[in-house]
Amino acid sequence: MDLCLQALVSGLLMGGVYALIAIGLNLIFGVVRIINFAHGEFVMLAMYLTYWLHDLYGLDPYLSVVIVLPVMFFFGAAFQRVIVQPIQSTSSIMKIFTTVGVSLLMQNLALIFWKGDFRTINTSYSMSTIEVFNIMISIPRLVAFATALASIVVLYFFLKYTSAGKALRAIVEDNSVARLMGVKVEKHYLLAFGLGTAFTGLGGALLMPFSTVYPTVGFTYTLLAFVVVVLGGLGSMSGTFLAGLFIGVVESFGGTFVSPALKEAIYFGIFILALLVRPQGLFGMGKGTEEVGLQ
Amino acid sequence: MKRIALVLVLFAVSWLLLMGDAVCASKTLEIGALFPLSGSLALLGEEGFRGVELARLQKNKAGGVAGAQIVYVQADVSTEEAARSEAERLIEQKNVHLIIGTYASSRCMAASEVAARKGIPYFELSAIANEITGRGYKTMWRTNPTALDFSRAQIDFIVGWLAPQLKKKPSDMKLSIAHEDSDYGTSVAASFSRLAKEAGVQVVSVEPYATNSSDLSPVILRLREANPDIVIGVSYAQDAILLSRQAHELKLKAPIFGTGGGHSLRSFAEALGPVAEGVFDADFTQYAVNPDFCPGLQEFVSLYKEKYGEPPRSGHSLTNYIGAFVVFDILEKTGGDMDPEAVYKAAMSLDIPLGKTAAGWGVKFGENGQNTRVPVFITQWRGGNLVTVWPKSAAVTEPETAKAQ
Repeated sequence: MDLCLQALVSGLLMGGVYALIAIGLNLIFGVVRIINFAHGEFVMLAMYLTYWLHDLYGLDPYLSVVIVLPVMFFFGAAFQRVIVQPIQSTSSIMKIFTTVGVSLLMQNLALIFWKGDFRTINTSYSMSTIEVFNIMISIPRLVAFATALASIVVLYFFLKYTSAGKALRAIVEDNSVARLMGVKVEKHYLLAFGLGTAFTGLGGALLMPFSTVYPTVGFTYTLLAFVVVVLGGLGSMSGTFLAGLFIGVVESFGGTFVSPALKEAIYFGIFILALLVRPQGLFGMGKGTEEVGLQ
Repeated sequence: MKRIALVLVLFAVSWLLLMGDAVCASKTLEIGALFPLSGSLALLGEEGFRGVELARLQKNKAGGVAGAQIVYVQADVSTEEAARSEAERLIEQKNVHLIIGTYASSRCMAASEVAARKGIPYFELSAIANEITGRGYKTMWRTNPTALDFSRAQIDFIVGWLAPQLKKKPSDMKLSIAHEDSDYGTSVAASFSRLAKEAGVQVVSVEPYATNSSDLSPVILRLREANPDIVIGVSYAQDAILLSRQAHELKLKAPIFGTGGGHSLRSFAEALGPVAEGVFDADFTQYAVNPDFCPGLQEFVSLYKEKYGEPPRSGHSLTNYIGAFVVFDILEKTGGDMDPEAVYKAAMSLDIPLGKTAAGWGVKFGENGQNTRVPVFITQWRGGNLVTVWPKSAAVTEPETAKAQ
């Protein structure tokens, strides 16, 4: 019983982090309709940024969010303006090639500038836990989970009630009609990419207290974020959150009760099944969104 | 007229190139060096290359091999595919006649297969999977210990020191293995299970996992259920850290006993602080070791510091440094000849007793090309330093009882 509960809690906590990273991708993927294979490298960049702020200036990883968020926002917006915009109207294959290229470029630049070392921030709370009924809860993972939840709420209200948010949702549903209705689509692309990257950066910063950064750390997160976004449904923030938790729990249960070596196989299996049965995702916005960016 | 001129120019250029090559060849000895320098194995791959590079610089300074200066033709084997194609490229296009490498077992398996097919001598200096020297290749040698040697050292330590310490008979000792699931981890886990069985020690669970996992709590939970006396960890860098971190968070009672790689990196101790204290590791020779047993070790460390401005990041540089010197010794014997027959003869006749190299190892190749004089030492993290504690001949201090993470 304890084992089940502990596996559930560990899975939920990890799922929160997955959700946080995937929210950023959902915004980018849903609005700009680009399959960004460099997404994991954005996580890597934010992790390094957090690491260096701590290493060079002694800034606590949670405080460094104040710097990491805006930096990542501008990085994302610039990425959209300089790299994505010029190829916006080309085929999706072209976009895949470009972003895979950027991903490799970023990995190797990180290797050149920061070397292959495995870097970790050692804070006083890195390995602290609270114990509830024999269940261990890691504090930094709990913080990441709570932040993911809070981010979803903020993003939900932003998308629902502000005019910029409404415009973003309109673009997700149908970008040509949105354009006809007078939405400045390109401007909102910048906003979506910036916001998406900022949330991804937040995920990276919150990962730092309990994980290790190295140049190729992003790869796992790229694939994972895609699975979460597609499973949760394009454009649905709550869907992403729930799908993140779902993947986290599936991974944890599969790892604990089947085999740790098979945990990825299990969730990719579920992913394929979901695509076959419900291609628009569990909480997708319905018809048209199942094309996942491939026009 | 133009055409004739063109032909003449081409002829002149190719003649110059050929001559240039011939002139160079009389002064230099080219050796292919395959290490992963990018991708997730870049850290120890580069550390390994630093070792062979220091050996080269030192040897060249002392006059080179058989009067020729050594030059490396370097290639990055960041993936298995790259290992295969780079080995092919070095041999076919760069005209390399001898290759050294490779740090990662899976890369070595791929690259050495290509070399063996083309009859090119391949010296593995730091990958440990048993299969590397188990394929019957006549042109494959390995200067460093195998996974089996690692496991043998661990079992010897568990039976000889740990079991008495816990006041248990070896047959009452319960062990678990948590290993990353590529060639390296799988090979070590398999040889450990085999030797444990022979020694009568129980292995109660084996947990493979992917090295890039961001959450190893399932592994820890399974280990908690199995409730062993000690966990044998076979990990690369970041998973070694994560395993110990989550063992600490989830209160795993058993201590972790590392097997090479990740557990001996300086970043392991830096990341974990007090949690790393007392962790055992079986690995290539480290730097806090009995100096009488490892002549030349201090010289290596000061060379390293001088060139790279920091102390060695793990024993991998030393291992490769020793290995490169073995290769140079062989080439010295052949007079720089890299013909497989000549290399074979020289390699097989090489005889360096134990305790005569900077790693404490000797050199005597078996028929399968495996160096048979490569004992593995047990080390322990103490106050941020990895000190050798077993066997007594190499130890600098007594082992201390390991605690839970």
